[in-house]
Amino acid sequence: MGNNLVQNIIIAVIWIVAAPILGGILSGIDRKITARMQNRFGPPIMQPFYDFFKLLGKERITVNQTQMVYVMGHLFFAIASLVMLVLKQDLLMLMFILAFSTVSLIMGAMSVRSPYSKIGAQREIIQMMAYEPVLILMVVGVYLTTKSFMISSVFSESTGPLLYNLPLVFFAFLYVLTIKLRKSPFDFSTSHHGHQELIKGLTTEFSGPQLALIELTHWYDLIILLGLITLFFAKPIWVGIIIALVSYFLELVIDNISARVTWRWMIKATWLIGIGAAMINIVWLYLKMKV
Amino acid sequence: MNEYLLLTVAILLPAFSALLCYALRNKAVRSFIVVLTSLAMFGVAGGFVNLLLASGGTLKIGVDAHIIGWVIKVLDLLLMGYILYIGFTLRKYLVVVLTFLQLIPLILFEGGLLFGTPHESEIAFVIDYLSLIMILLVSIIGPIITIFATGYMEEHEHHLGLKKSKQPRFFMILFIFLAAMNALVMTDNISWMYFFWEVTTLCSFLLISHDGNSESVKNALRALWINLSGGVAFISAIIAIYSVYGSLSITEIIEKTKTGGFVGIIPLAIGLLCFAGFTKSAQFPFQSWLLGAMVAPTPVSALLHSSTMVKAGVYLVVRFAPAYANTMLANIVAVVGAFTFLAGSAIAISQSNGKRVLAYSTIANLGLIICCAGIGSKVAIGAAILLMIFHAVSKGLLFLCVGTIEQEIGSRDIEDMQGLAKRMPFTTFVIVVGMISMLLPPFGVLITKWLAIEASVNSPLVLLCIVLGSAFTVVFWSKWIGIILTMSYKNSYKAEKLDFSVRSALSLLLVGALAASVLIMPLYNIFIAPHINSLNLADKAAGLAGSNGGVWLQGVGNITTGGFAAIPVFLLLFALMLLIPYFMRKTKAERIKPPYLCGENVDNDVRGLQFISPADKVDVVVVRNYYLTGMFGEGNLTLWCNALAGAIILVMFGVVI
Amino acid sequence: MGVISKSRKKSPWVIHYDCTSCNGCDIETLACLTPMYDVERFGIINVGNPKHADVLVVTGSVNKRNVRVLKNIYNQMPEPKAVVAVGACACTGGIFKECYNVLGGVENVLPVDVFVPGCCPRPEAIIDGIVLAMDKLDEKAKKMKEEKKKANQSVKV
Repeated sequence: MGNNLVQNIIIAVIWIVAAPILGGILSGIDRKITARMQNRFGPPIMQPFYDFFKLLGKERITVNQTQMVYVMGHLFFAIASLVMLVLKQDLLMLMFILAFSTVSLIMGAMSVRSPYSKIGAQREIIQMMAYEPVLILMVVGVYLTTKSFMISSVFSESTGPLLYNLPLVFFAFLYVLTIKLRKSPFDFSTSHHGHQELIKGLTTEFSGPQLALIELTHWYDLIILLGLITLFFAKPIWVGIIIALVSYFLELVIDNISARVTWRWMIKATWLIGIGAAMINIVWLYLKMKV
Repeated sequence: MNEYLLLTVAILLPAFSALLCYALRNKAVRSFIVVLTSLAMFGVAGGFVNLLLASGGTLKIGVDAHIIGWVIKVLDLLLMGYILYIGFTLRKYLVVVLTFLQLIPLILFEGGLLFGTPHESEIAFVIDYLSLIMILLVSIIGPIITIFATGYMEEHEHHLGLKKSKQPRFFMILFIFLAAMNALVMTDNISWMYFFWEVTTLCSFLLISHDGNSESVKNALRALWINLSGGVAFISAIIAIYSVYGSLSITEIIEKTKTGGFVGIIPLAIGLLCFAGFTKSAQFPFQSWLLGAMVAPTPVSALLHSSTMVKAGVYLVVRFAPAYANTMLANIVAVVGAFTFLAGSAIAISQSNGKRVLAYSTIANLGLIICCAGIGSKVAIGAAILLMIFHAVSKGLLFLCVGTIEQEIGSRDIEDMQGLAKRMPFTTFVIVVGMISMLLPPFGVLITKWLAIEASVNSPLVLLCIVLGSAFTVVFWSKWIGIILTMSYKNSYKAEKLDFSVRSALSLLLVGALAASVLIMPLYNIFIAPHINSLNLADKAAGLAGSNGGVWLQGVGNITTGGFAAIPVFLLLFALMLLIPYFMRKTKAERIKPPYLCGENVDNDVRGLQFISPADKVDVVVVRNYYLTGMFGEGNLTLWCNALAGAIILVMFGVVI
Repeated sequence: MGVISKSRKKSPWVIHYDCTSCNGCDIETLACLTPMYDVERFGIINVGNPKHADVLVVTGSVNKRNVRVLKNIYNQMPEPKAVVAVGACACTGGIFKECYNVLGGVENVLPVDVFVPGCCPRPEAIIDGIVLAMDKLDEKAKKMKEEKKKANQSVKV
């Protein structure tokens, strides 16, 4: 048991260090591919790291004393859910903690009397309302296939790849991935191209080191989400990783070919398509189980 | 002997204090009585815990059922008479009709005209862990709210400008309410339970109409007739059950239904009991009375929502859960609860009145409790009981906070609470902890949601309602927390001045909310797990532990059993969250900059409250929450939700007939 | 500080403020973002928010009405920061210099680090100016640090 604990701690530490490096490189590749798709040359792959360190070196400015607290919450709870993922813990709790991480950022954005950051926060809340049910339904789908909420059960001998049983849930998950990564057509809480109606939405009032930590959290988030995709094809794991990377590429394509939608449209579409697809999948699994 | 003493104190002491409060009209004396009674009730709660743990699960207390039975019969008639009087004087004939519908069967039944004089068991009080938890809620949260009320009502009457204080009457009813609740959860005699049930109905009427203006009387009457209709269902159920089993003992009834007695008229009777529970705990379509009850002074709302009244309804449903477990009735009860959870949470999004948000959230949470009771597996019942505890503590706390804030800022609108952290740092801290405890890990309410989702995976419809509903709860809570924590820079904070009673009540409940969450594991293992085991449920799915939540509850410390969410880890994260920024500021202070307003900030305004609009006019920056009324508006949804919920209840009766 | 100093030179985020420009310089500035010139090669991003920006690019001459906004935006930028005046008007006031309402070039109001002359300047020139500003930015940061060290030492003495 003690041995096990040490091993777990080592795994956790390795991932806590490795995830932002991987995440940063992936977002560098993201920017490069996006640039190539737009017929541009694009920044160096290491650009996200340059941005990160530059931001760390900036002067610390703030609007009130509490902003940094929320940024810390955003970061720590993202790390906590990453650790839960790599230690193969309860998937449902992982989703709750991941949600907490987002709520913390929303609180930070709302703690400031700034119109832009407030509206960004409201939009982020609406986004959460749209994607959170789908994430939980995905967890339920995993339960119905493996009879357990533990991620470790996905890796156990007796279960085949989840993708065979959960194709529609997988589709729904890809759908909400676009929202979760704040990619077009659902990038309306931060509007990630400058000079738009929301300035920078959620992150308007964060600057310097605060913004750097938010960026860092974003890399963690990216790795967690890609890790969750990997679960759909956990054995052999390299197939899962390829599927995750292909899905990420797909997100980039969608990001580049679509314009931003309104939040009403997003809620309706996500509930109809996302929840609809996931529910259909769950109902058929349920009926299959009954027989 | 000890248990008799405790029993007497638990029921008669509040009743006695009620009379004292009414008789002695001096404020200081009243406060003294309130504090003394509260301490005694805390003691009683502790005594029961000791006694029950020593006795190993159930405490059976025999009394002279004959004499007490007669006393209760007489009081029953007096009560009905008083309600009739109310109905006639206020010309609400629906109340009169509903009272007669109860009075006639009651007289026929108790008078022995139907089945001869009903046999009343000698063992009239049976206390098990479920009762114990209810006793703890009633005798700890109830008195704390009463203490709060001593300070609050003074201020309240000051606002109203009353000449003659109505406080003696107010405190009398509060204490009677607590006495009735204590008795209701302890008794094993279903007809006595019915009496206490009606007492709470009457008390809630009197309390809601306390301010005496036309709106409060109107809302109080609505509460009265809706709850009376539940009472009609209750008395019909009692008669139906007695006609088959010839017994009034709840334990015996549940035992018989479990061992093959769930046939004939019994399903209908149990369905009627559930119906009574729905009305009392304000499930859709009966939610309107609880919303109307918001006109009452805050301690009343707090009491109705947290430990008494609505909890009586869910107590009944949870108490009888083993009787109807694994039947079609149970499935539909689960759907009713889950639907209420969904509808309540959805409408709460569109509300900007703080008290109404709390009310809808209460309705939703009660729905979740009832849903868990309906699912009826061991994990689900465990979740239901846990949620009863956490909801009671947190909601009591939140209502008291909103009341305090309302007296300070003169509004209960969420938008007006912006920047509250600067005006009332202490209350802000308390209310934020209260709200976080309804929403986020590692607090208990989230854990119960976790359990509820785990328990409901085998019924897709219920699952969908819970999943959507919990997404909605995130929306309205985080909007509210965000508004309260909105603040501009301020150098130093000083706690606001509050009445001592108010401050102590808030602090006590805050400690309670934190303690319940930190001690969730012992709470579950010592009080709830043995109760669920003693029910001997034939579980559909997993055992007591369930798949994860339960396992986690049994071994929080164990990092490899899904228990990463261990409370120490969360505490560590919270501490880091607060300490790192604190020390960063200590080593080198950040520079304060105003919020970005497109460069149009007014000079020297660090807080960013104003901007320069066209033609050099100085305007105020207004930031508001989204309420999505187009989608979740009360006016849009209520009718459809009521219709749908009514349909589900009709289906329920169709199934059991 | 090696990493941060290196990163600073590779990631200047720009906020662009149009004072009283005839829009010629603005068009050329935005042309830098197009695939033709692609400033993201140098890590330059056009952000809309002074709190995220390192370099303030100003086009057009400053007048009495917009000087307040310009100063406000400059003040909201966190240190270290640089100002690039793009175009003849921003450098000197240009043909509007003698107008009754014009205060002249940006340097009358803010400390300008790089002047990019031209009416209007070519995108290459603007990019060159911003790249120059990056070096200035780093120098500034180092100078600030030394000054702070000196200040600390003098306090100790």
